[in-house]
Order: sequence, then C-alpha cells, then structure tokens
Amino acid sequence: MSAEPDAPDLTRDSALSDLRERGYAGFFVGCAVLTLATTLSIAAMLLLRSAEFFSEYDAGSFLTGTTFRASNEVFGILPLALATLFVTITAAIVALPIGTLTAIYLSEYASGRVRAILKPLLEILAGVPTIVYGIFALVYVTPVLQLLFPGLPTFNLLSASLMIGIMTIPMVSSISEDAMSAVPDDLRQAGYGLGATKFEVSTGVVVPASVSGIASSYILAVSRAIGETMIIAVAAGTQANMPTVREAGGVIPYVHPGEVLLEPGMTITSAMVHTRGGELTGGSIAYDALFALGLTLFVGTLVLNVASDVVAERYREEY
Amino acid sequence: MATEHEQEFGAVSRVRGKVFEAVSFGSSVLGIVALAVLLVFVVVDAFGLAAADTGWILTYVAALVVPMLALWCYRLDDQWLVRRAGAALLVGAPAAFLLETALAAVGVSIPTLNWELLYLFAVVVPVTGTVLVTGRDGPVGGAANGLFGRILGGAVFAAGLVVVFEILDPQLWFLVYSLAVLPAVGCVAYARQNPTSILGRLRIPVGVLGLFAAVAIHRVFLITVPYWVFHVWALAVPVAVATAWLDDEPETDAGWMTTAGVTLLVLVVGSLAIGTQGIAASYGLLLLIGLVPAGRYAFDTAGTSPERIGLLAPLVLGIGIVIGTIVANALGIAGPDPWLDSGFLTNPPSGTASEAGFYPAIVGSVLVIAVVAVLSFAFGVGTAIFLEEYTADEGLVGSLTRLIQINIANLAAVPSVVYGLLGLALFANMLGFGLGTVVTAGLTLSLLILPITIISAQEALRAVPDDLRRGSDAMGATRWQTTRNVVVPEALPGIFTGTILALGRAIGETAPLLLIGAVTARTAAPSGVFDQVSAMPLQLFNWYGQPEPFPRGVVPAGVVTLLLVLLVMNGTAILLRNRYERSDG
Repeated sequence: MSAEPDAPDLTRDSALSDLRERGYAGFFVGCAVLTLATTLSIAAMLLLRSAEFFSEYDAGSFLTGTTFRASNEVFGILPLALATLFVTITAAIVALPIGTLTAIYLSEYASGRVRAILKPLLEILAGVPTIVYGIFALVYVTPVLQLLFPGLPTFNLLSASLMIGIMTIPMVSSISEDAMSAVPDDLRQAGYGLGATKFEVSTGVVVPASVSGIASSYILAVSRAIGETMIIAVAAGTQANMPTVREAGGVIPYVHPGEVLLEPGMTITSAMVHTRGGELTGGSIAYDALFALGLTLFVGTLVLNVASDVVAERYREEY
Repeated sequence: MATEHEQEFGAVSRVRGKVFEAVSFGSSVLGIVALAVLLVFVVVDAFGLAAADTGWILTYVAALVVPMLALWCYRLDDQWLVRRAGAALLVGAPAAFLLETALAAVGVSIPTLNWELLYLFAVVVPVTGTVLVTGRDGPVGGAANGLFGRILGGAVFAAGLVVVFEILDPQLWFLVYSLAVLPAVGCVAYARQNPTSILGRLRIPVGVLGLFAAVAIHRVFLITVPYWVFHVWALAVPVAVATAWLDDEPETDAGWMTTAGVTLLVLVVGSLAIGTQGIAASYGLLLLIGLVPAGRYAFDTAGTSPERIGLLAPLVLGIGIVIGTIVANALGIAGPDPWLDSGFLTNPPSGTASEAGFYPAIVGSVLVIAVVAVLSFAFGVGTAIFLEEYTADEGLVGSLTRLIQINIANLAAVPSVVYGLLGLALFANMLGFGLGTVVTAGLTLSLLILPITIISAQEALRAVPDDLRRGSDAMGATRWQTTRNVVVPEALPGIFTGTILALGRAIGETAPLLLIGAVTARTAAPSGVFDQVSAMPLQLFNWYGQPEPFPRGVVPAGVVTLLLVLLVMNGTAILLRNRYERSDG
C-alpha cells in the first residue's frame, strides 16, 4: 500500500456537491421505499388474481370443498388445510418442548464454553436448505418409520412433519433463550435466597418471567411450519387426501390423525408447488387458484406474525 | 408467590434437578445429533463408501490421517489433546468392531454402516476436526492451516474464474480490461504521484466510458485476439502487478520488478507446462492464478523456523495418498465407488444415473447468486444506511422509518413460496422478463433475502461508534461524506458477513424458483441473463422422484455438492467476522 494515507475528499464547494448530496439521500430513501413497495405489490398481486379466481370459482366451494385436483379444475382447500393443520401440530409437538428445554439449558445450565459450541451448531439446523431436509425425510427417515408403522407409504406426511419439527427447533430456542437471558439475575438470586433449587428457579422463576418471549417464539415457529414448502413437496407426494370425518358422540366432528399423517398428502404450500406445472403463463383458472392459495397462506402467516409481536410487546415484563 | 401461609421445607432431592439437567441437555443436542446422523448417511451414499472393502479406510487412516495429525501436533503444547487423540484413534477401531459384533449377536444391524464407517465417522472425523481446529494454535499447525486455507480459497476462486469465462466471452474481458480497467487504474496511479492533478477524479468517468466503448466494440466488430495474447496481457500481467503491489516487502523499484517478473514468469511458464499435460493451458493459467496467494504465503513463511515444517503439509498429504493407493492395490482392497466425482460436476443431467451430472445446475446457481448478490447488496445497504444514518426521530421521516422497520420485520416472515408468486406475476408475466430466466430468478430471490440483508447491515452500521461520526462531522464533512468515508468502511466487514449468510439462504431456496417457472432440469448452462436457468436445488427436485439408483446415489451426490458450496460460503463469512472481531478488540 502507499506510504501516506489517502486524505478523504472533503470538498463541499460547488453546486455539484450539493447535487451529489441530494442524489445519494434520494437513492437511500428510494431503497427504503422499495421494501414498502414489495409488501404492497405482494398484497396487490395476491388480491388481484384472487379476485379473478373468485369471480370464476365459487368461494364457498373453495373453502368447504373436500377435493383438490388441479387437473380437473376442482379446488377445495379443506384437505390441504387439514394436512397443514396436522403437519403443523406434529412439528410443534417436536419443536416446542425440545426448543424450550434447549433454551432453558443454554440460558440456565450451560457453561460459557458449551454455549459457544452449541449455539452455532443449532443455527446450522436452520441454515440447511429445506429441500435437503425433504430428501432426508424421503430417503432416510421414511424407511426407519416404516419399521415402526408397517404399511407406511413411501410418501407420507409424518416424516416430513418430523423434519419440519427439527428444522424449527432453533427458532424456538434462540428467541426463548433471548427472553430468558433478559430475566434479571435479582429474580434468580431471590429464588435461591428462598431456598429454591436450580431446577425450581429455572422452571418456577425464569420460565414464568419470560413467558411472553417464549409464547412469541412458539407463534413464530408455528408460522414458519405453516409456510414450509419443500420438505412436504418432496417427502409427502402429490395427492391431496381427504380423511374421513367421524363424529365423537354423534356431535363433535373429528379426524383420526393417523389417516392424515400416515398417508401421502399436500399442504397449502406444496399444492402450490405441484400445481404450477404448465400453468404459469396466466389466463387459466389454475393460475389464479395459485394466488388464492397464496392469499390464504399470506393472511394466515401474517396474522400469526402480528400476534407474535403483540404477545411479545403487550405481555412483556418490564424490569 | 405464596408468602401468606407457612410452607414446610420438604426433603430437597438432587435427583429431580439432575434428571432435568440431563433431559434438557439431551434436548439441546437432539436436533444436532439427528442432523449429524443424516449427514453421515448422505455422505456415505454420495461417495459410495459402503462399497469399499474392509481395510480400505484403515489403510488410509494409517497412511494419510495419522501422519497429517502428527504434523499438526508437532511442537503443539497441548499434550493432553495429543495423548487423547492418539488413544482415540488406536482404541476406536477395535471398539467399533466389538460394538458391531455385539449388536449383531443381539440381532441388530445398522443399515449401510459397517464398523469401519462407524470408526470413520464416530472417531476419525471428530478427532481430525478437533486437532485441525486446536492445532492452529501451534506454529506448525498454524502454518499448515494457513497454507491449506489459501490453497482451498484459491482453488474455489480459480473454479469461479473458469465458470465466469465459460459464460462470458474472454474477448469481452480483453476489451474491458484494455479500455476501461487499465486507463482507470492509470488515472489512480498518476494521481498518487501528482496529487494536484485532476486525473484522479476522472477515474470513474474514464472507467465507465471505457466500459461502454468495450461493449460497443464487442457488439459491432468481431475482434479475435489470439488466446495467448489475451491470457498474458489481460490475466497474467495484471495478476503479477497486483501481487507485487499488494506485497509489503519490496521497498525499491528493483524488488517490485523482481516480484512482478517472477510471478509473471511462473504463471506463463507454468500454464504452458500444464498445457502439455492434457489440460487446456487457459485452465492451467486460471488454476495458477488461484494458487498465487498460497505461493506467496509459502514464500513468506519459508524463512521462519518452526512454521517452515507446516509447509510440508501438502507433501505429507500427497505421499499419504500415494502410499495408501499402493498398499490398497498390493493387498487387493477395492476402494469406494463414488457418485460425486469429476464427471458428476462436469456432465449435464441425464436419465441414466451413471451419466447424470450437475454442471448446468451449478453454473445456473452461480449466475443467479451473482445477480442476487449485486442487487441485494445495493438495495439492502442503501435501505440500512437510510434507516441508520439518514433517519430522524420525528416528523415525516420518523414515521416513515418506523413504518419501514415494522414492514421489514413482517417481510422477513413471509413464506418464501409467496415471493415466488410475486416473481411469477410481477417479473415473469407483467414486466415480461420471461419465465424462469436468470433475471427473474435473481430479482425474486433478491427481494426474498432483502429483509435479512437489511437487518444484518443495520446491525453492522449500529456497531460503528458514534464518536467517529461526530469526529467526521466536526471536520466539516457532509452526511454523505461521513457515511462514505467513515461509517461504511468501518461497517463493511460486518455488512459482507451478513450479506454472504443471506446469499447462503438464497442458494438453497427452491419453492420460489419453481413458481417462477424455472426449469428443473436443463442440459446446458445458461448463456446470458435472459436465458432459462436451472439451479442446484431445482435439479435435486427433478431427481428425487426417479427410481433407484437416483435416491441413494445421484441425489446424495447433489445434496453433498450443495452443502459443500454452502459450507464454503458460510466459512468465508465466519472467517471474515472472526478476523474483523480480532482486529477490533
């Protein structure tokens, strides 16, 4: 490098530099406004095409239809919604307890060195591309599950759900751990002062004090599981299956989880991926149906994200 | 809490607490262990390790791994580590064998994993990793790591150059170099000598004009420069000059000329020599350019006494491979049957598993990521600068900032498949960029990772101490001058780290690309930005449903390639962050 440091150009002499100043400020504002434009155009595209769809297709039969078959132009969202529901619940059963326990361990028990090793490793779980998880589920997890459930088809929702659960663990653990680390040490010391054990302090003091953060992490993880696409698209096949609706005591309708999870199925997201083939230039009803599905998904995840923010803000304990 | 009524002290048991600690620790590692096991299986499948005869892995552990580890541990103070590593390598093999025998006696067998693979993945890989990471503290291991790091980085860089010149016409680079880069650099160099000259401020106009001229000439005239002129003039000379310029050592003109001359000579003669060995001389030159940093490092380190031994690492590696091969051949031990080989990386996809390749997908991914990198860096940093440097607490700008901040947080949580719909409707159909072209894919993925880029760039900008800004303001700098001269240079490593991590997210995205109509299998690499493109994850999506041997052979090979690319990207980001943090503290 040169011996003398470059003196920065600090001239502000002319109209040119004033123009330059305004030009750059304008560019930065433009970039920032671009993010707003992204949101607006997502909303506009989804609403526009969905309106088109519902002008051709009855909204009632979209929401309550029990068959989804794009090739026959039948778009009932119910089987997709049920599959999404069961996948999300299964993933939550895996991710929420494991993620919470991980957060408790990292925030209360782990030494600094262990934490420094575990946290980046957990981040890797969220960084692996989802199609890779899908292939893992299809090629390696399903054969193991077939030992447990003989007759499990190659494409099934169960192995996909388990993989989504593993993928969302770091989402729960990192946000929950932030919330737990924010609990002031005074509270813990007070607990110890009353004679509580470490276990009692962790579960009886720290967890209740950070419950808003934990809840918000749960909602975000659920939102992520709903929006997850490729794991299911790869590992759960291309048929939308409607399970038999039974009635408990003749009144309350219910669905046996096994009829959904142990079968092939499509969620809202994977239906979008599998419907797209040949329908992308526009003009067909299947093209518009994609956007109706997208709108459902967008609204659902947006509500959950806003709910997560509200929970984190409103129920946060101020120390 | 219950304070009113008397509470009796029960017996305090340690068991409950210990069990809880163990369970929560188990939960923390459960996901990691699950992923590690899956990775082992996918690596075994990708390299066909299960097809290797018994003894093959042991041979290479003895011929290759043990000498390498010994070199790394040489002069290492950490005797505890050395003893543990040696013991683990020795005891591991019989232990794995006994474990498999015991399991077989009970009637359990682990599919595809034999005891040798168990030993490899449960003992050899973790021990090697630990020694490589810990060994960098020792003089020898540090030098060996430094050399290998530069060789690896250089090889990746050279591979990138090869891909770039496969897509770009080398003649265009010749014109751009001669008409734009060289004059602009000349302006800068002249301004260094004569600070009052106006030439220094003309560097950007000169460069831009040259660029336009080069593109125009390339469009109109068909100029064909002989390849050797192109290679020497537009590649070897600039690399040699840059090497000499970046080198701190030569203070004199003579030393400067020597460094540049020697580098040039090595590049030209070396590439001609490689050219006689069946590889094109042009690729040989690119390869040598990639090896320049390693060469410089070896040259600089060769003078210092203990580190010098570390430079033998490539030699030990080479000898180990040769001895291993000789022993394996002599004993008649067959090696693995890898799916992930050079043919896989250079072939187009095919319906026949043994001929299927990943090449168009790799090039497609690289092209798309290049577009995404430029766009998301420009707009992400621009937005972050607005939100951190140009914002105000109140008024119109204040509310705009708050609105944008909330908006970014929500955009980050929109499912990626919805971005695919945006790209499909807006870029592909409405603006007419075409279904599944490089531009459409690049724009869509840029919007997808924009929130992540912005948030990480904001964090980097926020970490710049306010004193620096005030100091610059006090010198009379305008806001743009402060941003440009003080804030951005200080925050740049952090911004790069965040951007690379975000690009890692983009390279694995599949759903948006499927929705914008990118083809899942293309037999040729895209030749321009308006060409249809495939990408690594898309190719995997095309293969996953095909019959065996795709799921247990070709697909794992693709998965491992994708993960390796991700590993290199994230490793670069982490190295950048570590170096930056160290110089900071």
